[in-house]
Amino acid sequence: MEVRMTGITKSFGSNSVLRGVDFDIRPGEVHALMGENGAGKSTLMNILTGLHKADDGRVFINGEERIFSNPKEAEEHGLSFIHQEMNTWSDMTVLENLFIGKEIKNSLGWIKTKEMKALAKETFNELGIHLDLNRDVGTLSVGQQQMIEIAKSLMTNAEVIIMDEPTAALTEREIDVLFKIIAKLKSRNVSIIYISHRMEEIFKISDRITVMRDGVSVDTKNTSETHNDEIVRMMVGRDLEDYYPKKDAKIGEVVFEAKQLGQEKVFKDISFQVKSGEIVGFSGLMGAGRTEVMRSIFGIDALDEGELYLEGEKIQIKAPSDAIRQGIGFLTEDRKVEGLILDYSIRDNISLPSIDGFKKHFLIDTKAEEDFTGMLVKRLNIKSMSQEDPTSSLSGGNQQKVVLAKWVGIGSKVLILDEPTRGVDVGAKREIYQLMNELAERGVAIIMVSSDLPEILGVSDRVIVIHEGKLAGELPKAEATEEKIMTLATGGY
Amino acid sequence: MKKLVSFFVAGLLLVSGCGAATLEGENTNTDTAVEEKDASELVVGVSVSTLSNPFFVSLEEGIQNLADENDTEIRAVDAQDDSAKQINDIDDLIQQGVDILLINPVDSSAITPAVESANTAGIPVIMMDRSSDSGDVVTLIASDNIAGGEMAAEYIKEISGEQAKTVQLEGVPGASATRERGEGFLNIAEVSLDVLDSQTANFDRAEGLTVMENLLQAHSDIQAVFAQNDEMALGAIEAIESAGLSDEIQVVGFDGTEDGVNAVKDGRLSATIAQQPEEMGKLSLQAAYDFFAGEDVPAKIDSPLELVTE
Amino acid sequence: MKNEVENIQIGKKKFEYKELVTKLGPLLALIVLVIFVTFLNPSFISATNLLNLLRQVSTNALIAFGMTFVIITGGIDLSVGSTLALSSALTAGMIVSGLDPVLAMIVGVGIGFVLGAVNGLLITKGKMAPFIATLATMTIFRGLTLVLTDGKPITGIGDSFIFKFMGRGYLFGIPFPVVLTLVCFAVLFMLLHKMTFGRKTFAIGGNEKAAYIAGIKSDRIKVMIYAISGMMASISGIIITSRLNSAQPTAGTSYEMDAIASVVLGGTSLSGGRGRIVGTLIGALIIGTLNNGLNLLGVSSFYQQVVKGIVIIIAVLIDRKK
Repeated sequence: MEVRMTGITKSFGSNSVLRGVDFDIRPGEVHALMGENGAGKSTLMNILTGLHKADDGRVFINGEERIFSNPKEAEEHGLSFIHQEMNTWSDMTVLENLFIGKEIKNSLGWIKTKEMKALAKETFNELGIHLDLNRDVGTLSVGQQQMIEIAKSLMTNAEVIIMDEPTAALTEREIDVLFKIIAKLKSRNVSIIYISHRMEEIFKISDRITVMRDGVSVDTKNTSETHNDEIVRMMVGRDLEDYYPKKDAKIGEVVFEAKQLGQEKVFKDISFQVKSGEIVGFSGLMGAGRTEVMRSIFGIDALDEGELYLEGEKIQIKAPSDAIRQGIGFLTEDRKVEGLILDYSIRDNISLPSIDGFKKHFLIDTKAEEDFTGMLVKRLNIKSMSQEDPTSSLSGGNQQKVVLAKWVGIGSKVLILDEPTRGVDVGAKREIYQLMNELAERGVAIIMVSSDLPEILGVSDRVIVIHEGKLAGELPKAEATEEKIMTLATGGY
Repeated sequence: MKKLVSFFVAGLLLVSGCGAATLEGENTNTDTAVEEKDASELVVGVSVSTLSNPFFVSLEEGIQNLADENDTEIRAVDAQDDSAKQINDIDDLIQQGVDILLINPVDSSAITPAVESANTAGIPVIMMDRSSDSGDVVTLIASDNIAGGEMAAEYIKEISGEQAKTVQLEGVPGASATRERGEGFLNIAEVSLDVLDSQTANFDRAEGLTVMENLLQAHSDIQAVFAQNDEMALGAIEAIESAGLSDEIQVVGFDGTEDGVNAVKDGRLSATIAQQPEEMGKLSLQAAYDFFAGEDVPAKIDSPLELVTE
Repeated sequence: MKNEVENIQIGKKKFEYKELVTKLGPLLALIVLVIFVTFLNPSFISATNLLNLLRQVSTNALIAFGMTFVIITGGIDLSVGSTLALSSALTAGMIVSGLDPVLAMIVGVGIGFVLGAVNGLLITKGKMAPFIATLATMTIFRGLTLVLTDGKPITGIGDSFIFKFMGRGYLFGIPFPVVLTLVCFAVLFMLLHKMTFGRKTFAIGGNEKAAYIAGIKSDRIKVMIYAISGMMASISGIIITSRLNSAQPTAGTSYEMDAIASVVLGGTSLSGGRGRIVGTLIGALIIGTLNNGLNLLGVSSFYQQVVKGIVIIIAVLIDRKK
């Protein structure tokens, strides 16, 4: 299918989001759509699939002008959109999810399971997916759920599939599978619009790249004729001398030490140290147990065995409140579910872990609280009109900074960051790295769990790799390379 | 904490000494002279324990019918079986400046503050069906529940024989009707019947059904049932009929509600001790008229009871 | 960048408008109701009636205050009515058996606190849904009350001035239950809106997981909250017992409904995280004005229930709209 969008304009209220965007897709190509958060990528795609209506501009499908009035209509015409937050029903089976709302029925309304199974199997085979159709979707990994979404769109005979940040939550292995599937789709002449922040992926799989910035399409390039720096320059509108800021914190004494940590069936014999001013990166495949180790250190889940030491002294952590009292902070993987109270103000969120410190004659000293959060908002450069704004109104990067501010606020000696830059745009990413460096300079020991290999390499002083719940190895910055880390993470030596 | 409490108590005593802290009902109105009023001039406040029970609906209808005949204005409130709501309702009636209160209390002891408030406000009170434990009332109009209970036991003896195996379904625990009907029933039954069991079914038909089902499980030889009201009796009959024991077990109810009397006519219920709630309502309002006509009203007026059999 | 700022501004204005509706909506409803009832029956606005009304409201308001905390955490407490009955029966029993009335009342309130804490423990340690846990304790407490009282009201509480004063007293011409309600309101207002305990309560309701990870001992706070709810029910119970001069085994039946309705009318969200105790006070006044006003207007009690339900539906619909 050939799609051409010209001069697309769209405003929400007084806020103009798209200002004359041109974009086109050729049959059977992978077309990467890049740009910082807020550049207008999602809005453009939502206009294409009929969720929003453009104020101006024209859309041509196979040369014929056509505006879809809703996503369902777009789907019927072969355009399907796989969103970042997937619409799966976790308590239903794979099969039920595949056919939800499109069940094959006989004239009496009975569901024809056999036919559905046959069709699902055929599609799975074609894509090279191996999944039990009777499993509950809730028990599958994010990557596997994504496969279901892709299979779903194929079954509706999609000719253009839009994927929004498809690899954000995938492991390396799953990403490989996804890329193989994309290759198969291409061979079937299906076009893919691939929205991603990950430069290396874009260069690996795309045929052309369109970069958007501030509601306009900056340029479209053939992937083979451009390079990383040019794309980044187009995205941010200026040169980034270095993507990862230089770190020059002095590494000091051991601050935190874990000895022989174990949790039944999840991880075992996990021992490591973190020094003051040091950033230790934890790498490994999704599901290797990195997050689980961190959660049990912080007291969210129970440890079955092992000991924790802070500044040489043994500490007991039974609940997050214990960890916080000891000066340990934890930025969780999922900020919306565990990191923030989205409806509440920036101030309420930032002061929450340290609220007991603002007691004055039994009451909360609101003045002191305001000054405190004001200082943190300024220091972390959180962009908002006021401290009273609900955190739900902030961009992903600023939300993440609010979570960080919480932990900076308690004066953490040890800071555990689980995927600190997930879903954060390029500019804010850099700010978060800079903050990490600043904290390290003040002697904070930082543990960073990340699935983004370049990030691990660019930020950490030392990399610890976990494989299937066990320490697979440790690499100093000088020795760490993507290949070495991947070898350890997949169980090789 | 202790300090705080003693401080509080001391403060309370202090203000009470100064006259700032007072209790309601303290300065009773001593003006006892009755201003004579015609029926058409009267505004009568009526507070009924619950209008979810047909008995009290009939009671209210009795009042209303007589009031309509004489052009008397009625202000009625329903306590929904909640003592606290009832005294609030009565406060509201006093506030409206009614001339007299006809009260059918949820509970005889809990109603006393309301009666005392009415006394303070100088509004005469007539009690219906249940009394008030204290406070001045003009009269109590009630069926003699004890006598009714005795009537029921006597009748069971008559139809099922001496020492017939009997069970009793009791009303809401603690309600005066429950106590009095039970007392009257046991006065006779303890001597001349064999009471196997006595369980509460809260004057409720559905509970009467389930409690009876349970009793039938527990005792295979029941010959008679005394239910302290018709609602429970009708529930019990359902249980008995579905167990196929209608011929073996006699059921006697109490109140003589429309449903109850119909069941007696159909031969499903052996008998009911019929109170005449409409009559009771009429008698109550009539007592109010008499009071405002300057006539003497006796301290207790019996509302007629009647044994209804086929 | 400029767009972003504008966008935030728009968002902010919307947010403030929302706040305004939340804050003033219930008050406006109350004022309209008062004007309406006064128009139809001017005696409504008389001083004695208003004092009557406030006294009638106090028992429900006290329970609803405690319920506000519970609902803000996203929970519910169905057992308040039974807690009220059980603690009242025990208090009355203690007084009858010769315990000093003041001491008996303090113990009674303590019992309410403990009964509430039992709910809290079932919900936190027992990991039960609040609805289920308090539904179970509702029947347990009611059953225990009936066992304890043998189904009969406890009378003969004697004539301790302090005890009578609780329900029937006047302080400078104001019914003491009203004074007590205002004192409880002030204390709980500070607790909810000015102290860290309240902040933690909201945090648990807003996102319990995030609150726990932020170091809030959510179990402990929740046990305290249910205990407060139980305690408020028992204080309400003392007022009722004093007013009725007896402890009724059936006292407080279905009081949870009026309390929950007051909280919801006051703009507190049943899904937790949002709410104000001032709103609950207004909600209780709305329910009280309805009861009192409809009585004054001579509306049949059957219609009264219909009207009450309709008012709740309208309130929630308006709440949904904003």
